[in-house]
Amino acid sequence: MSKTRSLRRQLLVMTFIVLLFISSLALWGAHIYANRTTKISYDRLLYGAALQMVENITLVNGKVIIDLPISAFETLSLSSSDRAFYSIMNTQYQVLTGYKDLPDIPFPQLIRESQQNQPIKPLYYESNYRGERVRFIILSKRLLEADKSKTVFVIVGQTMEARAKAAKEFNQIALQFVSVFFIITMLLLLFVIWQVLRPLQSIKQAITERSSLDLSALDIHVPSEIAPLVGSINYFMAQLDNTLQRLERFTAESAHQIRTPLAGLISQAQNALDEKDSALRKQQLENILESSQLLTQTVNQLLNRATLTHRFQSHPFSLLSLDELIKDTCRELVVWALEKHVEIAYVGDAKTNILGDEFALKQMLHNIIENAVKYSPEHGTVEVELMTQSTALSNQATLQIRDQGVGVCYEDKLHIFEYFYRSADNVAAGSGIGLSIAKEVAEHHKAIFRLKDNQPTGLIVEIVFLCVEESKQ
Amino acid sequence: MKYYLAFLFCCFMASGADSHPSTPLPSNTTDTYSYPSLAKQTVLLTVHGALDRALIAPLFRAFIAQHPHTQIQYTELNTNALYQTFLDAPQDRPDIMMSPAMDLQFKLVNDGFALRNDSPPPQSLPMDSQWRQELFGFTYEPIVMVINTDILTGSPLPTSREQLLTLIRDKDHLLDGKIGLFDIKKVGLGYLAWSYDSQQYRTYGRLLEAFGNHKAQLYTDTHTMLEALLKGDLFIAYNLVGSYAFQWSKKYPWIVTLMPTDYTSIIMRTAFINRQTTHPKTAKSFIDFLLSHQGQSLLEASGITPLDRHITGQNSRQALQKLPHGIFRPIPLGLELLIQTDSAKKQLIYDEWNDALGSSTPLSQ
Repeated sequence: MSKTRSLRRQLLVMTFIVLLFISSLALWGAHIYANRTTKISYDRLLYGAALQMVENITLVNGKVIIDLPISAFETLSLSSSDRAFYSIMNTQYQVLTGYKDLPDIPFPQLIRESQQNQPIKPLYYESNYRGERVRFIILSKRLLEADKSKTVFVIVGQTMEARAKAAKEFNQIALQFVSVFFIITMLLLLFVIWQVLRPLQSIKQAITERSSLDLSALDIHVPSEIAPLVGSINYFMAQLDNTLQRLERFTAESAHQIRTPLAGLISQAQNALDEKDSALRKQQLENILESSQLLTQTVNQLLNRATLTHRFQSHPFSLLSLDELIKDTCRELVVWALEKHVEIAYVGDAKTNILGDEFALKQMLHNIIENAVKYSPEHGTVEVELMTQSTALSNQATLQIRDQGVGVCYEDKLHIFEYFYRSADNVAAGSGIGLSIAKEVAEHHKAIFRLKDNQPTGLIVEIVFLCVEESKQ
Repeated sequence: MKYYLAFLFCCFMASGADSHPSTPLPSNTTDTYSYPSLAKQTVLLTVHGALDRALIAPLFRAFIAQHPHTQIQYTELNTNALYQTFLDAPQDRPDIMMSPAMDLQFKLVNDGFALRNDSPPPQSLPMDSQWRQELFGFTYEPIVMVINTDILTGSPLPTSREQLLTLIRDKDHLLDGKIGLFDIKKVGLGYLAWSYDSQQYRTYGRLLEAFGNHKAQLYTDTHTMLEALLKGDLFIAYNLVGSYAFQWSKKYPWIVTLMPTDYTSIIMRTAFINRQTTHPKTAKSFIDFLLSHQGQSLLEASGITPLDRHITGQNSRQALQKLPHGIFRPIPLGLELLIQTDSAKKQLIYDEWNDALGSSTPLSQ
């Protein structure tokens, strides 16, 4: 529930930030556009006024006649609250009419342009005049009369209040528009987010509604993006179901495995009590002892497994030397093997370190080697070999434990890792749990556990470990 | 030019009692009048204007009644003198500048001499009666022609400029030297009205020619012109300010004031606050008072048509509407006024004027 809400909040915050960013970008763009547009349009007004003034300057008998039209001033008065200034000058920069003290007239530029003999373009410039910022335009006109010609300059300037006001209005409209856009988009996105997150809610609903024992697959329709999640949930539930079933079987099997030898022991002990012949009784007592040992072994294995299961969950891995561990295990078992007339041979001199649980790994090696020794013929040899390979991706260490026994047929390989599985023609004494534990340990260490056939006969147990990189040691 | 009424007009107000003029005291030869405050500590507000002091005095008194700490000093000058004094004597600039010469006032404001008054103008005033919250129109006065009906002798009373031309043609030599005009070179208001005519009236050339042919007399103030009409020195006066003329006609019914029916120019008296005023607060409240209903009503009572169209009375805009008139063409309060102050344009109009009236008086500015 809280997860769902935080996801929604994240989406909301993200969309809010993105929208805010887009809106500010839009406002900034509008601001630039507004300033540009108002500048262009008000510059045109200035230009228009200056042109109208220029049109009404004539040369009559060598005298410049200036009859300014009212329309020029009407054009300027379109920006109703701006002050305006003008001046008409001749090429000696004498003011013919208008303001006599206009500032910053760009004479050098005028001279340069007039010397280039090109048609002079309107020239805009800004300056402070009479307490306000004023934008000026300057135009020149060549007055012609028969063989005479004179040039006059017309300067028109206007304060910039109307421009600022127009730009401000434009910006305000943009702000209003963007705000409305922002609110509408945010509402739509809220709706969309709610709509998108609804399937998650429905999964939660479906899970809460079912009974705690029901581990069947969820059957709900969700969008394809969420389908993997439902798939995962279903897969997990199937796994859980499987594990529960195995646990159930294991418990039943364990009980059976302990109860049967106990029943045997009881009847054997009963028989021994009744037996008069001391030689036979001794034989029966030895049988009892043997059965007890076997039972002890089974119980030990079960306890070991319980311990391991607990360690898997609680014990962190540590760095350990795999080759040392194997050698130690071989040393511990070599005497016991020799009693059974089997040799244990450690082959190879590879050294490697892995991350792992020493106790569990030792348990695994014990189980495998013991198994190999058990199934070896008399005077047979169990070879233990550690090899390392380096690939581009990782370093691997492969451990092989080879025996020369009868091997495992294909049929048995399928079942050999099941608890208490014993092949029908198996004669050796054993609990049928050792290899299963070994495999669990290997898999807990992310190692690959494989069974192969030895030549000419026998079984190879191969475990491939991922080594710790050199640099990490 | 300045005309000197060498006395100081003083007026004391007792609270609740009517005002009464005291004995005029000589002053340093300017037509300056003082309106004392009602309290000890005072703010001296100087006002320059062209309005007859008798007409503006009630307004000052009412303002002082509302602002007892204020003392007002009013200097009456003609419109050109107002402008020139303002430019030539920066140390004597008033706090408030009032003048009917809209173009000159506008020029001063455009040139940055005015202080902005941010208080919103009353809703009852038209939007275009102020500029930048710096220049405020406060009256609405038609430009009229005044005719002494003695000249008619059976001819119909002219109501338009065209009919005026017909009358002049009919009476011909009877009118030689009997037409009165403002000297546009000396009276700002005269120039404003005349140059506005030149923009509006397609046959103003014929009018100018007729004035020239009959040796029109040039005057620098309204009163003298009206006196001349009364005495019979003049029969026709053209482009006078309506406020004075209507009052005159009321007193002397045979002198008729006419708003030309082709079009009637309207001027606004305008006021602005000097940017360098030392009493901006008082000056602003004076402008607010001038534009307020009370201020406008006081103007109406003095015989000056106020700008506010909601004011009633015989001198109100509503009353003007009922008299025969042409299209009212208010001179716009905007950048268009700059053209009236353009020296080249002025020279062109002066040249035409000189050609017609045969006078070769050099440009006085």
